[in-house]
Amino acid sequence: MSLVQDKNVAARMAAVVGAGNVLTEPGDLHVYAADGLTHGRRTPDLVVLPGSTEEVVEVVRIAREAGCPIVPRGSGTGLSGGARPVEGCIVLSLSRMRRVLEVDLANGWARVEPGVFNLDVTKTVSGAGYYYAPDPSSQSICSIGGNVAENSGGAHCLKYGFTTHHVLAATVVLSDASVVHLGGPAADAPGYDLLAALVGSEGMVGIVTEATLRLLRKPETTRTFFATFPSTDEAGSAVSGIIAAGILPAAIEMMDRLAIEAAKAATGLDWPDVGAALLMDADGPREEVEHVSARAIEVARAAGALEIRVPRDEAERQLMWKGRKCAFAAVGRISPNYMVEDGVIPRSEIARVLREIERMAAERGLRVANVFHAGDGNLHPLVLYDARKPGQEERAAELGGEILRLCIRSGGSITGEHGVGAEKAAYMAEQFQPDDLETMQRVRCAFDGANLLNPGKVFPTPRLCGEKPGPYAPHPAEAAGLAERW
Amino acid sequence: MSAVPAAARAVEPRDAVLGVAPRLAVEPASVEEAADAMRAFARDRLAVVFVGGGTDMELGAAPARLDAVLRTTGLARIREHAPSDQIVAVQGGMRLADLQRHLAGHHQRLALDPPFPDRATVGGIVAANAFGPRRTRYGPVRDLVIGITIVRADGAVAHGGGKVVKNVAGFDLPRLFCGSLGTLGLVAEVVFRLHPLPEASGTAVFEGLDARDVAETLPVLRDLGVEPTAVAALPSGGKFALAVRFEGFAPGVKAQVERTLARAGAGAKVEGGDEAALWSRHDAVRCAGDVRAKATFAPASLARAADALAPVAGALRGGAIVLHPGPGIAFVSGSLDGADRAAAAIESARSALAPLAGGALVLSAAPAELRARTSPWGPPPQSLEVMRRLKKELDPEARLAPGRFVGGI
Repeated sequence: MSLVQDKNVAARMAAVVGAGNVLTEPGDLHVYAADGLTHGRRTPDLVVLPGSTEEVVEVVRIAREAGCPIVPRGSGTGLSGGARPVEGCIVLSLSRMRRVLEVDLANGWARVEPGVFNLDVTKTVSGAGYYYAPDPSSQSICSIGGNVAENSGGAHCLKYGFTTHHVLAATVVLSDASVVHLGGPAADAPGYDLLAALVGSEGMVGIVTEATLRLLRKPETTRTFFATFPSTDEAGSAVSGIIAAGILPAAIEMMDRLAIEAAKAATGLDWPDVGAALLMDADGPREEVEHVSARAIEVARAAGALEIRVPRDEAERQLMWKGRKCAFAAVGRISPNYMVEDGVIPRSEIARVLREIERMAAERGLRVANVFHAGDGNLHPLVLYDARKPGQEERAAELGGEILRLCIRSGGSITGEHGVGAEKAAYMAEQFQPDDLETMQRVRCAFDGANLLNPGKVFPTPRLCGEKPGPYAPHPAEAAGLAERW
Repeated sequence: MSAVPAAARAVEPRDAVLGVAPRLAVEPASVEEAADAMRAFARDRLAVVFVGGGTDMELGAAPARLDAVLRTTGLARIREHAPSDQIVAVQGGMRLADLQRHLAGHHQRLALDPPFPDRATVGGIVAANAFGPRRTRYGPVRDLVIGITIVRADGAVAHGGGKVVKNVAGFDLPRLFCGSLGTLGLVAEVVFRLHPLPEASGTAVFEGLDARDVAETLPVLRDLGVEPTAVAALPSGGKFALAVRFEGFAPGVKAQVERTLARAGAGAKVEGGDEAALWSRHDAVRCAGDVRAKATFAPASLARAADALAPVAGALRGGAIVLHPGPGIAFVSGSLDGADRAAAAIESARSALAPLAGGALVLSAAPAELRARTSPWGPPPQSLEVMRRLKKELDPEARLAPGRFVGGI
């Protein structure tokens, strides 16, 4: 009998949140065995769906008393295993907390519960001409709570920034069942910028039960163009040239030959068969945008663009973006299996790194499709393989790892927006020094001294809080195999 | 006491921090020397305050104890500037104006414009969360910092973030250190995101406004679809002059200034030397006198905030208010003319600001007699306990700027 069942945790949770909001049946639990990263599944012992901050507090209190780790979960769209269950845990799903609590257009902010879908924030305010800027590809189903945990980005963060730039305040339940209010929403709340520690902490700092988000006025004008190139070399130099011309596009996305092929197969777009394509948005005041867009097109031509297409109307523009946004899923049409990577390199290294990835893939008899946020050097290599062929899956995983190492060597990062989660914790030790990771874990300890929240994520070697030099005594989490000492 | 030979020098009067004199001063010439000094301080359990250009030393309370000051004067190198990636890695002691001069040679800038750029260092700007009017468009320093190297209280050197703008690997140490006022560690090196130097600039100025008019202009600008880089209201003849600056490509700047002037009431376009003088006046007013305060509030409550701050300005000699309507921030400056009166006005302004979405009033400079009557930080935040735990994790012996920060941290 597991720790969770042993302590009659389910019955106590049910008394708080209602029996219908505690899942214990294997069929129900199975749904929560993985997030958007489907391998490494582990079925949790218990799933609890609280409906309010007060219920989250009680759920955390019961879990803490029972010594059960808590894995917070939003919509489960994450791609790094950040919501993957661990031994003996409860999964705390915020998906019932789905209310928009307050919209304040005069101040340009909205207060929402964590289960609200990203796109629904925009839908709530778009009639008045406002929107919420971070736009991850999963925005129609991913939750704000998950966005805060992962510091989610999207195509348009080149100009508008990431989730961390758009969260003004948060109500958070900590692992000691206390409720803290971080941020303003007025600017510069006195004290440490604890919101900075929260956003992107991958569920290890606290459970967000309310977030106040910045709303932006929709830009007056958006101009889009699609440019094709013989290869990613010319497309890469066009990106560098556009930035060097002093232009800050709202988004600038690159697709290589395979990604274009996949997007065409999925959408029926009449894109040509070329080595690379760029899709660029410029937005803002009309005169500025028209000027910038014309300059960017000149730069793209000078860099070797084969063809420039400007959409005739908004419908055609949406279709171009659909081609870009569906490219991930579309790769399924040209390969039985694929793995999505997420790494960052300095923008100026794009052409060189893409060539290197192609070489590494060829060495292993594999293909890689690239569709990514070129403006900020955020690569999304899709490693194509066929799981039915012996050894291909292993080679694909190995290539994925080598791509991350290439990003680190190029002065970049192992993740630009998908998070470290369970998947990339091992690579953290290659990107960071031991003292870097130990400092980050001290920050975590300030919030979760009990090591209860989402243990085993992000850090390759979890550190137990309050460790002091002295005689060795095993911590309960250590005994349970959830952590080990440095 | 152990010696710190590599970096120690004689203590000078200017090394005192808010009237508290240290016994020791060090000026490390490298991050390694800084780490050596920090290890020596740890061994001897010395309390240390980090000093950059000294432009924000009056922010916060006097240190509860002080043994050593560590000046970052010798940490003034650009470690890496990658123009095509629009990033720069620079040591914490580099002065902002020196950095901007270097960047301008590459047609780039760091989009931060706090007062005293000739003295303010990048490490100090990060630690004090210093900013200027361009915050309207580019945000506070936390929005521009992408990587950091810190030296901890125990002398360990740690990094967070990196050299790429988009990066979610690990906890966000760079942003966490913004505004931490040297209480969590030394900001030894910072990596910033850069922006292109604009080819043109123009400011639309509207004279004779009261705070209500200023408040009403902001939604008008938002509806216009223009993207100003700076918006500030300065005192002018008993009223406010609202300055709205546009920077970028010449056709965009020209059109945005014209549209703003056409829609937002009677105003004038200011360019060139007059524009530079106008924005210099902004800094001069904001930093005048020996009392300086920063007030924050919900942007839509600007008129109420201005009402709450008027008695604070009234209690000072030559008291003036500068408004940044975009982020919802006001600066009050002037010379102390009766500490009791000023303290009372500050306390009642704090009570009036708190309901405006968690507004606050923080003193960025004040003579000792005013500090004795009111806390420089105001009431502690609800999350103070977590802040104390954070401090304890990174500086368990409370040796870094002890007592300087919020809630006595």
